[in-house]
Amino acid sequence: MPEIFINGKPYQAEPDQTVLQVALANGIYVPYFCWHPQLSVAGNCRICMVEEEGRGVDIGCNMPVKAGMRILTESDEVRAHRKAILQFITLNHPVDCGICDKAGECTLQDYHYQYNGTPSISHDRKVTSTKFYDLSDRIVLDNERCIVCSRCVRFTREVSKSNGLGIEERADGSLVRPSTDGSFRDDPYSDNVVDLCPVGALLSRSFFYKARVWYLQATPSVCPGCERGCTVDIWHRKPEWFVQSLDAAENTAIARVTPRENAAVNGPWICNKGRDLARIFERKRAGQAMLKGRPVDLPNAVAEARRLLAGAARPAAVVSAWGSNEELEAFRAALGGRVTVMTRQDHVPEPGEVVEDDLLIRADKNPNSAKLRELFGNAAATLPADADLVLVWGEGFEFARIPPGAKVVLLGSYLAPENGHADVFLPISIQTERDGHYTNFQGVVSGFAACFPKAPGVADAETLFAGLAGGGP
Amino acid sequence: MTGRKVLMNFEVTPTSHTLEAYLARGGYQTIAKVLRELKPGDVTKEIVASGIQGRGGAAFPAGRKWQVVDPNDGQPHYLIANADEGEPGTFKDRWILENSPHTLLESMLIAAYALAVRNAFVYIRGEFDQPYRRLAAAVEEAYAAGYFGQGILGSGFSCDMFIFRGAGAYVCGEASSLLSSVEGTRGYPRNRPPRLTVKGLFQRPTVVNNVETLSNLSWIMQHGAEEYRKVGTAKSPGTRLISISGHIERPGVYEVEMGYSWAKFIYGVCGGVPNGRKLKAVIPGGISSQVLTGPDAKIMTPEEVESLTLDHDALWQMGSSMGSGGMIVIAEGTCMVRLLQVMLRFYHHESCGQCTPCREGMGWAHRVIDRIVAGQGRPEDIATLRYISKFNDGTTICGLGDAAGYATVAFLDHFRDEFEYYIEHKRSKYDGRLECLPEAAHA
Amino acid sequence: MKHLIPEFEALKRRLPPELDSTLVLPCLRRIQEDRGYVAEEDIDGLVEYLGVPRIQIEEVLSFYTMLRRRPIGHWHLQVCRNVSCSMRGAERLIDHLGRKLGVAPGQTTADGRFTLSTVECLGSCGTAPVVMVNERYHELQDERSLDALLEELKQP
Repeated sequence: MPEIFINGKPYQAEPDQTVLQVALANGIYVPYFCWHPQLSVAGNCRICMVEEEGRGVDIGCNMPVKAGMRILTESDEVRAHRKAILQFITLNHPVDCGICDKAGECTLQDYHYQYNGTPSISHDRKVTSTKFYDLSDRIVLDNERCIVCSRCVRFTREVSKSNGLGIEERADGSLVRPSTDGSFRDDPYSDNVVDLCPVGALLSRSFFYKARVWYLQATPSVCPGCERGCTVDIWHRKPEWFVQSLDAAENTAIARVTPRENAAVNGPWICNKGRDLARIFERKRAGQAMLKGRPVDLPNAVAEARRLLAGAARPAAVVSAWGSNEELEAFRAALGGRVTVMTRQDHVPEPGEVVEDDLLIRADKNPNSAKLRELFGNAAATLPADADLVLVWGEGFEFARIPPGAKVVLLGSYLAPENGHADVFLPISIQTERDGHYTNFQGVVSGFAACFPKAPGVADAETLFAGLAGGGP
Repeated sequence: MTGRKVLMNFEVTPTSHTLEAYLARGGYQTIAKVLRELKPGDVTKEIVASGIQGRGGAAFPAGRKWQVVDPNDGQPHYLIANADEGEPGTFKDRWILENSPHTLLESMLIAAYALAVRNAFVYIRGEFDQPYRRLAAAVEEAYAAGYFGQGILGSGFSCDMFIFRGAGAYVCGEASSLLSSVEGTRGYPRNRPPRLTVKGLFQRPTVVNNVETLSNLSWIMQHGAEEYRKVGTAKSPGTRLISISGHIERPGVYEVEMGYSWAKFIYGVCGGVPNGRKLKAVIPGGISSQVLTGPDAKIMTPEEVESLTLDHDALWQMGSSMGSGGMIVIAEGTCMVRLLQVMLRFYHHESCGQCTPCREGMGWAHRVIDRIVAGQGRPEDIATLRYISKFNDGTTICGLGDAAGYATVAFLDHFRDEFEYYIEHKRSKYDGRLECLPEAAHA
Repeated sequence: MKHLIPEFEALKRRLPPELDSTLVLPCLRRIQEDRGYVAEEDIDGLVEYLGVPRIQIEEVLSFYTMLRRRPIGHWHLQVCRNVSCSMRGAERLIDHLGRKLGVAPGQTTADGRFTLSTVECLGSCGTAPVVMVNERYHELQDERSLDALLEELKQP
């Protein structure tokens, strides 16, 4: 274990580490654009320069540790180099901050203020280039802002392996471009390049011009798109920045979804489906309890459901793999002994959707099959033909499979035609409206927190089940 | 006339490049002797003892480069002759390829044997056509005669030769960029570590040597390192092929023993500056070496010019270098601002764009000099050019940025008055002249 | 490019087996020599033949100045404008050719016969000024020799 000195203090290093890795691991910040812990070393931005006493400056990301080496990260020469690199990078960088989505979370902005902070010494016209270039229908590229760090290219080469991006031309005319065979368009991980990009060159179309990042907060959540259960951040407006005069729906909208780094599950990546969670969560919601399509208030509907359940001789239940750990536990505690359970994976792969791959995507498109198996492992494969009441908890269950004559109590979140056909329909909250956990296929438990309040007429399934069992009013 | 000859030691005729002519002057006997009598380590020892320095531009001792490669490590090694010859002012490797390709091939066989190389390459710049044809024909001759292929000359040593043609990129003359090119990708140079002799072509130990460096090897192995050290100077043994061009009466390639007098070479052998003009400056080793001034400028005295010799030490002491040996002679009356413009335009065109200081800096410097030449220069432009040069020095992945910086600073140091004049008066002190015309035309 | 595959296979004989992607540049050069430029279908064919990603071929085509994806004039007049050639009159010759052909550097004559380009150092500084016409170097050029050359090249 070689020992190296950084700014006069000793640190233990692994023999195969670089100076940059040792510094960062010990809380000594050295700026970097092109380096990334999950990608190969490119060493092209040159801002991670450090000084080795007696040997001058060199980039730290490609500097192997040697026992006894003495490194300075804040010497005058290092500072002069950082300032100069920023001068070079901003030489042709358009002053787009006022209209650039990356403002507020832009590494170049941050470093400029921290390590340069002075106006450019150039009085020459900036080199102009392509703006608003569609790399795909999901990602927009601005070549003027691009600092050619090659993170996006290396990602498609080394992580997603789509080989979707490359760099064409030379010198300051270098351009990130997509392969013309559409491999970037077809890359299910393409949107990760937006997180990787240290500047506002690569932007998400779905977030384009939607909101300033400092108006938003990130709430931890779990992607329900498959049983991998990647942890994510759901971004939405901070309460103190709620809009008053525009559409109030903006205040309860998902602005964007980004990966939440998780070494045990997804690392720093998610697939594009996780980016599109608004497509799942912002479908039209069911907000009104009903009895055979007739609107009633929630307590009445609950009471009716309880009455039907109490009166059923052979009740059964369809239990969804979209239930959270807490909801599933509550169900089993309240009703597990009373009903015959049939478990169901509500979602199946859609046409054109990647089914499974070597990276993150799993074939089971439901978030909590693992917990379902744990709690109801010996569940029936089909509904008993003589069931006289079926509690359907989840979406998309075909009503034709309900035994004729059986009563139906339906718990659902989204508007659907069958809601009006159920004897009792109870609207329930979705993941973004409560706290909870899912268990992924590896047994890893990840938590999500509420982003938005639920509507008044909507119930939490977790507290509902005890009431249905007859334990409450 | 210019000292002893190691390479240009035969008469060039329409057939002197053929295998027949090469054999007649003793060709392929050295490799035969090496294969018969020496172990690979013996060859490397001899090359180290010869002290031969690289002749591509960096002057790194070739033997020291070779020693990193362990012939017995059981993995593939590669040897590549760098015939990219892109440094402006340089055209001497071409002489070898056209006139004595077998000298290079035999030398490469010797090197391949020493370095346990099974597959050797010559990377030849894409624009060279005649040199390529001569080399390709020589390779076929050599294969036919059994000097390449399996079991060469009945020994256990086998070697294949592949000529790889470039496609127009100066940066591919840099060894690691050359490897990227051979691997089938853009010519992006690589960061070191790892050194190429540890992880080079397809991550295998690789030796890249300049054509002229390699071509010396057969002579060294034939006559011995001790004999080689008798040629040239103590610190710079051997000879250099000097390409001389520009404002000179007799441009061309000359083999010059190291330590030869500058003045004798420029004025005597090459006929001096044409049209009765005086010497203003000399770029000694390709445009990436620092320009030196002649007796009319204030920096070098005539005595200094007279005393200057063609070897590494002398040039390093003057703040320049022998570089690629591409000497460009510049006559009085030449506008150095326009000359720098030509150079910066070149560096901008050739920058690969990988790293920040060079990618942005070359374009920036080019735009600044274009503005000065167009009569729109600003007083701070000289400081800007110095700034760009300073922060390309030692900060880049390869030497292109550094070279452009050194060249620029040397121009600004020696000819500051011209640049200031151009900026202040919005025109050249010398009418923007680049050609060397007779006295009358200058009036 | 499929008809060139036997040639490419022959090249492999002097390369070690793991070095297939070494053939990218040699194949592209040969394809361009054959067609005059590299077409989209050539790229498709090469991707299939070598098994390299398409983006790699596209990057290479854009990086190297001698490779092109579009046809140019029958005769490519490439005039060096680097240091030694400029010091021996290259700028005059570029202007001269431009006037004679009625095109600016980078353009092709209307009849498709000539494309005029400026290039960087060709490694022939001792015989400056140099003009490369297709593959051949024409050294020690001046206005007169270029006029004669143009006459010769105009012949069918």
